[in-house]
Amino acid sequence: MAVWGTRLRGIWLFYREVAPVLLLISAALLLVMQLPAMMQVAGLHEEKASGLSAGLLLAKLLSGLAVWYLASEMRPQRYWFYYNLGLSRAWLWGGVAVLDGSLFIAAAQVIARLWA
Amino acid sequence: MGLKNEYVGSGSHVLEADGIRVAFDGRQILASIYLRVQTGQIVGLLGRNGSGKSTLLQAIFGARAVPDASVRVDGRRVVPAFQTPGLLNYLPQAPLLPAGLTLRRAARLLGVDPLAASAGFPELPAQLDCHLGELSGGSARLWQVLLLLHANTAFSLFDEPFTGIMPVHVEALGAALQQARQRKGLLLTDHRYAELLPLCDVVYLLQQGRLLQLGPNFRDELVEYGYLLA
Repeated sequence: MAVWGTRLRGIWLFYREVAPVLLLISAALLLVMQLPAMMQVAGLHEEKASGLSAGLLLAKLLSGLAVWYLASEMRPQRYWFYYNLGLSRAWLWGGVAVLDGSLFIAAAQVIARLWA
Repeated sequence: MGLKNEYVGSGSHVLEADGIRVAFDGRQILASIYLRVQTGQIVGLLGRNGSGKSTLLQAIFGARAVPDASVRVDGRRVVPAFQTPGLLNYLPQAPLLPAGLTLRRAARLLGVDPLAASAGFPELPAQLDCHLGELSGGSARLWQVLLLLHANTAFSLFDEPFTGIMPVHVEALGAALQQARQRKGLLLTDHRYAELLPLCDVVYLLQQGRLLQLGPNFRDELVEYGYLLA
């Protein structure tokens, strides 16, 4: 259990390192995709927020892959501490994908409900 | 993947590595390798710049994937070794800790008591709430060595642990390494051979891709192989 606890804390620490970029991208994507619905004026131009569309998910996936590639190429030495916690790159980025993906989906659903 | 720490506090262990072959741009860096470290030993790894010492340590640690590499502990294959809880840790030449992490938090994650780790270095405890980037190069290096040295692993692989550390601390660090060997096996590589050699039970020289185990008269052989001047 102690080993798992340490590894989960390591994944959380790694997510916090890369989160600023990922959250900024998420916010930009949600803003761009949902802007028409958020800018609607009652009676003049009404459009519903689309929630999660295939295009939005694809854009998030591609931007995530770009962040993964650039982070790995530009600062490969960032992994050493995590290796010493027993965490491979697959575990780290898998954890990031789960955390960031969940946040992104939740935010998209909230926006879709607010502007439904 | 089992996550039980079965190596710490469970007697003596033997770490062996062979079959590690690495080539860069057609040049064979590592070819004929057999390396052995056991609990209670300090093993020195020497070699010229670019001879592949760091590559070898990283291959043993498991961070560098090498086809056909065989890393074994007590005869059991452990590849990649770093994923086996409590087996080994590795100090790279590059800074180890993430920029946003204080030494106190890093110690907690590594399962180390930072005050026990810095015993013998009176000025270090005051730095516990600092980030690595706020310290001098020597202090930062010393902290990284001490954290990994005191972590609960059966083996530690240190790549240039003495770099930037002032002489009085190198002496104290030597004593800490001697003390740590009672519970783990240490594999060290460093160009500061004058500090390294007196600590070592076994010395290997990496020469043109081959790993040579030197005899009891390390120094004479190092001169013979052109690593030291006569």
